Amino acid sequence: MPRYGMMIDTRRCVGCFACRLACQMKNTLGPAEGFVHFEHLETGTYPNVDAEVVPLQCMHCEDAPCQHVCPTGATFTNEDGVVLVDESKCIGCKYCMVACPYGVRMIEEKSGVVEKCRFCWSDELGGPNSPSCVSTCIANARVFGDLDDPESEVSKAIAANDAKPIAGDLTKASIYYVR
Amino acid sequence: MSKTMTRRGFLRTSAAGAALAAAGVVGYAEWQSGRAHADEGSAASGDVKRVSTLCNGCSNECGLWVNVRDGVIHTLEGNPDNPNSGGRMCGRGHGFAQMTYSADRLTQPMKRMENGEFEPISWDDAYAEISEKLMGIIEKNGPQSFAFIRDPRPNINFYAPRFTAALGSANIYTHGAACNLSLQSAYKHTVGGGFSADVENAKMIMFIGRSYADGITPASMKKLAELSVNGDAKIVIVDPRFNNSGHLADQWVPIRPGTDLAMLLAMSHVLIEEDLYDKSFVNDHVLGFYAFKKEVEQFTPEWASEICGVGADTIATLAREMAQAAPAAVIEPSWRAAFGCAHQNSFMTGRAVAAFNALLGNYGQKGGALITSSPSLGKLPASKFPEPPAAKGTRVGNKEYPLAVPFMGTNLAALKGALDGQIKAMFFYQSNAAKGYANPKVWEEGLGKCELVVDIDVQMSETAMLADYVLPECSYLERMEAVYTLGGKKHTVSLRDKAIDVIHPETRPADQIFRELSAACGVGKYFDFTVDELVEAQLATVGLTVDELREKGIVELPTSDFEYGKVPEFATPSGKIEFYSVTIGRAGLSPVITWQERKARPAEGEFYFVGGKQSVHSHTMTTGIESLMNISKDYHLERLWMNASDAKELGIAEGDTVEISSSEYTDKIDVHVTERLMPGVVFCPTHYGGSSPYLKQGYGFGICIPNFQPFDMEPGTGATMSQEFTVSIKKVGA
Repeated sequence: MPRYGMMIDTRRCVGCFACRLACQMKNTLGPAEGFVHFEHLETGTYPNVDAEVVPLQCMHCEDAPCQHVCPTGATFTNEDGVVLVDESKCIGCKYCMVACPYGVRMIEEKSGVVEKCRFCWSDELGGPNSPSCVSTCIANARVFGDLDDPESEVSKAIAANDAKPIAGDLTKASIYYVR
Repeated sequence: MSKTMTRRGFLRTSAAGAALAAAGVVGYAEWQSGRAHADEGSAASGDVKRVSTLCNGCSNECGLWVNVRDGVIHTLEGNPDNPNSGGRMCGRGHGFAQMTYSADRLTQPMKRMENGEFEPISWDDAYAEISEKLMGIIEKNGPQSFAFIRDPRPNINFYAPRFTAALGSANIYTHGAACNLSLQSAYKHTVGGGFSADVENAKMIMFIGRSYADGITPASMKKLAELSVNGDAKIVIVDPRFNNSGHLADQWVPIRPGTDLAMLLAMSHVLIEEDLYDKSFVNDHVLGFYAFKKEVEQFTPEWASEICGVGADTIATLAREMAQAAPAAVIEPSWRAAFGCAHQNSFMTGRAVAAFNALLGNYGQKGGALITSSPSLGKLPASKFPEPPAAKGTRVGNKEYPLAVPFMGTNLAALKGALDGQIKAMFFYQSNAAKGYANPKVWEEGLGKCELVVDIDVQMSETAMLADYVLPECSYLERMEAVYTLGGKKHTVSLRDKAIDVIHPETRPADQIFRELSAACGVGKYFDFTVDELVEAQLATVGLTVDELREKGIVELPTSDFEYGKVPEFATPSGKIEFYSVTIGRAGLSPVITWQERKARPAEGEFYFVGGKQSVHSHTMTTGIESLMNISKDYHLERLWMNASDAKELGIAEGDTVEISSSEYTDKIDVHVTERLMPGVVFCPTHYGGSSPYLKQGYGFGICIPNFQPFDMEPGTGATMSQEFTVSIKKVGA
């Protein structure tokens, strides 16, 4: 079984919002909704400054706090390490929203389900359907693939860049960052 | 007579539009629910197709694959074979596609009534009335009383010049005067035309005002990110603002707005003084080097530093570093940014950029400045596609602004013509001139003096609000356009194609509008073909078929003669790079490249103003799009940037509202306090401040920058000088 994950290279990210918009379209979200959020960091004082944009989305944690607190089992991790939401079980209690340390769960207006990034998981395909945040990225800042396959592009990129989850070992996240 | 649409008229036309649109999917929510439905049914029985087309979200014409499910747009992806998209797609491109399903689109032809309100009118009546008025104006005042302004796109680049010429007028313009007219004209008169920077192979690259992250071409952005992370090149951003590409750069050089020329002249001074320039290249390919050498003797780094605010040492070091990296060193040519149309000295700044690259000897070299050719389609058979005779007159503005690139011209001369009474009829295509090309109040006055204003657009822009007739085009995803050719290292042809059926039955594609309107005007013989027939004939001239192009989305032609290391031909009068130009001298400007001041300079307590693009918007045409405007609102993208030390002095904190005033206008805006901006300068994006009530998302959000700009034109080119003003700022309630 693969264990899917991603690497985001914030050295490349310019905060253009293409990932949020491609994702919104592919996942049929409302115009005000997005699975990807952005933190804008400014450091230094003029003229010695830097600016970093950190895109945040569901980290597909191995130890997912949102799953632990879900009273109905709506949030679950599938065999491929992807954290998903069973719409039919979600009662909209928002426990998951409170528990998520990354603040990336959101109520989808049309269904009332508390949704999040699903790595573009497709039941039809039985796997991720080419995550659109990766394929659209104009700065090539994202790499996706099987973390358990040392030969995968994502595993190699993580190793080569010494990428780390945004909050260290906190939740055993499957998204790794280069900063 | 008031030209603003009343609330009542607005509601009535909206209701009429909604009734007509009931047949198709209208509105974001309806589109989304339709898509969700399509998703469920798609696995077994859904009608799924992939259509190749070109994005219309800006003028890059990026190649896309559109995934259509059950006749509804599902998703879009960049075509990997397209040199502009490089297989990627930017955010505004995704968002722009949604305009197709906007409830705020124009759905039928509209006519402005005596009382100033807009009423629906049938196509036949609109054609009859427009042609009668237009031909009457031409009969009375001559064909030169008619002008046509367009944002250049494949279709309109074919149809608008043809239509204008068919009516006997030479007055055809692009939006260029408010885009990159200054620098394109400068490059034409210095190196014979535009050039590009060989980003991926550069060892040192300098961007002046230009930011790939803010004014996006996806493939260029990808190359720059790659260069930044994995390359050993030095990337320098010269900009009063640490723009969104700043994070990719090795060095940020903050500079006073409109003084880039001083720095460029001083950098040239250093190369010449220290004997660091490419002497053999200069000997062989430069005209007027000694005049320039003599001229720049006075322009020392110390002199420039006083003017531009960049340290003399920094200027000298940058020049030396560029020389060391040459010929794989380049100043990127830029686009609108800092010297596309911003200042009185933008044309001269463009000349200095081209000249500095020449001193590096980088033209045609790997990592340098590339001048490449463009493919041309063959001649269409005259029996089916007869060419109208060339207009007899000279385009209005050509005499006063002879240095403007002929393809563009200066549309502000047409505006001046309207103010003077010389131009009586004006047509616009996808061109929100009255909101972005110069001060809107001047456009309102000029168009108010015209006897006939016609606008073709997909939405009720601010320019449409000033028109007598508004003709609704179907969106780019619902139409086919003329063939698009792209030059560069490779030559390609591609096509904007129809991905879905027309949603609103009373919207029509431009080719049909011109066919029908020209027939009504008595010049139908020049338009007696469909766009399908046109495309077929255009492709036949290069041995291609529509089916071949549709299958691949883009086809490479074997016509490019580009090779690295070969010095390109310079299409100037002398065949050389002209540091001294007789043509420019004849136009009344300095024939040799030299110093020229910007026009407006801040008085004590005033600020320089810098405008700029944001990644999620394209001019003012995307401010009606919900998903893009939600980003603008969520992330406060409309705010005015101010340096933290200035803010502190004025007692301004993040999010505070200030009053901003220029000689022309006063408005209120919230402030973003930052360290990413030079003190004494404020920055504001140029997309916002919408005033068309039809475009509800952007209506009244943020401020409209052209309101602050005096009506003026750059000598020689007629560019709009979009940043030749200063502002005073005070905290509201202070």
